[in-house]
Amino acid sequence: MSEELRVSPIETRGKTCVKRYAMVIDVRRCIGCLACQVACKAEYDTPLGVNRTWVPYRVVGKYPNVKKQFLPRLCNHCDDPPCVRNCPVGATFKVEDGGFVLQRYERCIGCRSCMAACPYNARFMLPSHRTYTPITNVVDKCTFCFHRVNENLVPACVQTCIGRARVFGDLNDPNSEVSYLVAKNATQVLRPEQGTKPHVFYIGADRNQTEFARDAYHRPEVMELERAAFKRHFKI
Amino acid sequence: MMEMTKLNRRTFLKVSAATGAAAAVAPRLLKAMELELAGKDVSPVSGVQRKAVPITCHFCNIQDGAIAYLENDRVVKLEGNPEHVSTRGRLCPKGNSGMWYSYDPDRILYPLKRVGKRGEGKWKRITWDEALTEVAAKLDEALKEDPNTIVLKYGRNRTGGVLDRFMQTLGSDSIINHTSVCESSKKVGMEPAWGPDIETPDFANTKYVLNFGSNVLEASYFHNPLSQRVAEGRVDNHMKIVTFDVRLSNTAGFSDEWIPVHPGTDGAVALAIGHVILREDLQDSEFINTWTNVTVDELKEHYKQFTPEWAEKISGVPAATIERIAIEFATTKPATIFTYRGPAKHLYGSYNEKACMMLPVMTGNIERRGGYCLPRGMSWPQPKPEPPKPAKHAYMNKHHHPLYPLASHGVSHLLPFHIADGTMKVNVYFTYQDNPVYTNPGARAVWGKVLSDETLVPFFVSMSSHMGEETALADIILPDCPYLERWEPESMPNSLWPWLGIRQPVHKSLGESRENRILMRDIIWKLDPDGSRGMRKYWEFKDGEDYMRHHFDNIPGLKEAGGLDFLKKHGVWPIYGKLDPRTGKIVDKTGREIRAEYGLYKKELSEEEMAGAIIDENGLITKNGKAIGIQRNGKNYVGFATPNRLINVRVDEWAKYGFNPMPTFKRIPWHETMREDEMILTTFKLNVHKQSRSAAVKWLAEIAHSNPAWINTETAKKIGVKTGDLVRVESKVGYLVTKAYVTEGIHPKAIAIPTAFGHWEYGRLATLKLKEKKPEWSHGQEDPDFNNVWWDDKGVHPNDIIPAIADPIGGSQAWFDTVVKVTKAGPNDKYGDVVADWDRHVEAFKEGLRYAYTGDLHRKMHPEMAHWKGPEEAGHESEGSHL
Repeated sequence: MSEELRVSPIETRGKTCVKRYAMVIDVRRCIGCLACQVACKAEYDTPLGVNRTWVPYRVVGKYPNVKKQFLPRLCNHCDDPPCVRNCPVGATFKVEDGGFVLQRYERCIGCRSCMAACPYNARFMLPSHRTYTPITNVVDKCTFCFHRVNENLVPACVQTCIGRARVFGDLNDPNSEVSYLVAKNATQVLRPEQGTKPHVFYIGADRNQTEFARDAYHRPEVMELERAAFKRHFKI
Repeated sequence: MMEMTKLNRRTFLKVSAATGAAAAVAPRLLKAMELELAGKDVSPVSGVQRKAVPITCHFCNIQDGAIAYLENDRVVKLEGNPEHVSTRGRLCPKGNSGMWYSYDPDRILYPLKRVGKRGEGKWKRITWDEALTEVAAKLDEALKEDPNTIVLKYGRNRTGGVLDRFMQTLGSDSIINHTSVCESSKKVGMEPAWGPDIETPDFANTKYVLNFGSNVLEASYFHNPLSQRVAEGRVDNHMKIVTFDVRLSNTAGFSDEWIPVHPGTDGAVALAIGHVILREDLQDSEFINTWTNVTVDELKEHYKQFTPEWAEKISGVPAATIERIAIEFATTKPATIFTYRGPAKHLYGSYNEKACMMLPVMTGNIERRGGYCLPRGMSWPQPKPEPPKPAKHAYMNKHHHPLYPLASHGVSHLLPFHIADGTMKVNVYFTYQDNPVYTNPGARAVWGKVLSDETLVPFFVSMSSHMGEETALADIILPDCPYLERWEPESMPNSLWPWLGIRQPVHKSLGESRENRILMRDIIWKLDPDGSRGMRKYWEFKDGEDYMRHHFDNIPGLKEAGGLDFLKKHGVWPIYGKLDPRTGKIVDKTGREIRAEYGLYKKELSEEEMAGAIIDENGLITKNGKAIGIQRNGKNYVGFATPNRLINVRVDEWAKYGFNPMPTFKRIPWHETMREDEMILTTFKLNVHKQSRSAAVKWLAEIAHSNPAWINTETAKKIGVKTGDLVRVESKVGYLVTKAYVTEGIHPKAIAIPTAFGHWEYGRLATLKLKEKKPEWSHGQEDPDFNNVWWDDKGVHPNDIIPAIADPIGGSQAWFDTVVKVTKAGPNDKYGDVVADWDRHVEAFKEGLRYAYTGDLHRKMHPEMAHWKGPEEAGHESEGSHL
């Protein structure tokens, strides 16, 4: 992309000597096992009630022609992240080399502007109780496993993905697996109309789920009871 | 000279094949710097590298290779072992959360003695010495009367032979397993046919899969390793997968086609598919004629009766669909099938399993790349000396029940009825990793009743780390260790590559808990402190590690690699290659994916093996009275692990007991007489839980904690319920009240309730009694995260209303056969009501016995076996044959 077309100065795409990490989620390979969601909980001691990554599903069709669709979700590490623009104290920022959108816990004032700004519901407030990590009552989110990637390891959810539906790598490297997958397959991103330039690409996702996609958050009816219980009992 | 030419030609072919492979991958020779897929872990907060200990996962029974990562001597992360050929560095959600067995705030860490009434929940902490003294005294008394009055029933036994050693040391034959509530009819359907009790479908390389009722993407034998290959086959190899199931499981939802079947009729569909294949002459005649004990003509004649129209009437699957699927399956090569518990957990489960298995057999897909392969396992030697087999046979044990002589994996779920009627006298009852009060048919109403009765079970010892429904009824609790604190040998045929693995403690066992082999040793040492009773000599080992040395230090190959020390470092042996960060596959030194060995039955016997062997007129090769192979087309092959070294399409042993020796299907008689408003209850496992021991694992409980009953939209309309409404589900032995989940993804005649929920014991999280104060028996460290528990529904457990019925062949519990009436709950029905009746359960049990080979309905169900002489003829031969 040429320099003039850039909307935001912090974009990573096509910049030389800068990594542009992305995740490709091939939903044709997703078996809906939720290993990613649990591995992430373990990696970060994420408390109950909140998730950095999660896997909603829906059942489509009419008996006997029915399918179950999973759509693994996480922070999109947008190239033009609305959360960063909306944080009043600069607690949320984008790492120039790599494109990670991260949170500085010591600066976060817990105002939740970023949560409201995020079109993907990818941010959450940490409750006051955790098993062993002392960081509480600030906004948290997926980090693309910044600490693991720095050690040359894939994110925890990619590491454990049974179907190998999640693949992680550098899109600025034309020979990487993610570049190959994005080049060879039709991909979708979530809510492209928001202009966020997400770094999570889906292969084989139902476009009803991804575009102008309130449907991506549409929960099955059976979840309504759960939602009500969550509202009743979950306290920050 | 001939030999030379042959060798040269082979070498040439090998070289050219390798060049071809290199050319095929050439466009991607430019390699990016991909991130590593596994092998280390760092803390996100401190950045410190976490300590890694390789283990074998034992959350469920798949036995994935894993690595435990520790921070401050506490496991914070579990990952797959990248050196493990089956697991390839990945774990399922259960495996990822296994540390919560160890760190459950309600874990039992000290020996406990019951002080109140049985099951009242009042306990006193005692010392190990007090506990062992009391157990030894009770054992002494029991030994005086009859060693077989010491009963040990286990659920999950991965001790590598310790439980058998313990019981044999005591001289008791009353060791009982749990396989009949699991997949035993599948095993019994397969073993006489081809030897082993399970298959390994080569999903990664297949082009077509027929999945009969298995939910391999959520549960089932070998969930993680096989699911990896299902995803690979589907995307990388463009395979098609077709699933027959009553319910839209994740596997059915993932499949290219989900074909709902009327519950319990998969076998009929499989037979009709076979009919079409044979009618259209699409079978592999050479394979059938060479490698089975029937001819193509016999098979064609036999299958004539199973028309697609016949199957449509029974199963509801349109005949046209059966025709289409049959032709697709037979003309796509390679192809495989997969079954697990779906077809097997019915009254005639073994017939169903065999009917399915015949499809890869008749199409010659056995032991081919991309086909239906034999399991690959490895074994290890036992420490010497070994105690002798018990002198006297018990009425029933883990591989024998007199009324079910073909059920070579026992009929464990009938035990309480035999305890109650006096055929199994109990003085001391041990339980290990078992929870039948929750997991077995009848649950509380059957097992709860019998185990609470001190006249029937006078002394009850539970070896357990958790206060399960069964342990809550014990007299003494010996705190066992969860899997992260145990030494155990492992091997599981969960991929096409055999391996040996180890489970080793990641840290010192918490509190005063002792791993099973140690606590059993301590009981024996207490009974025989100086060795004068001849028991102690079988238990002379220092600790778990010492015991492992006996297993692993002398295995050829492993010994040279370093024996136990190699396994302690790597967790698994052999290591076939490196995990490729680009593809997630195991590659050899040249960067190419490793290839499995196929055609195991076609391995030729060496001259040395053939020395002194006799070949009979059928080609059977025997040596020293043992069948070692089969001669076919002038070559001496090892063949299959059956007495005639062939695949037995006709199982003659079954005919001895009046069962049809050929592939067949029997409708469940009580399904034929179902009324319009009745349905069939099936149960299932979800992706994040196992049968009974996972409800206290917080991350999994958060994802799934309740179990509304799945009901089809049309059916729900008729009953007048919507999602969330209460329904009353009534069987002939009791009823329950639960919530409805109305979905398009289920057969209109089926109602499906997942298990793993609705616990009344198992600690405060499983029972959602988090507001109550920490019980006295609970010794774990409190977890602040429990303050965040937001759900308030623990679900309703269905097993109380499911009667105990056994497959007369395989001995399996007929889990998926229960007829129920489902109605909108009445004004007096409360969510969670479960009412079941012991007397009605006994009646149902007796009704079930009528289908056994000795029962009066057996003959009625088998008109085609009119020439069978009757149970008297078979009875004598059965005695001892399975002991």
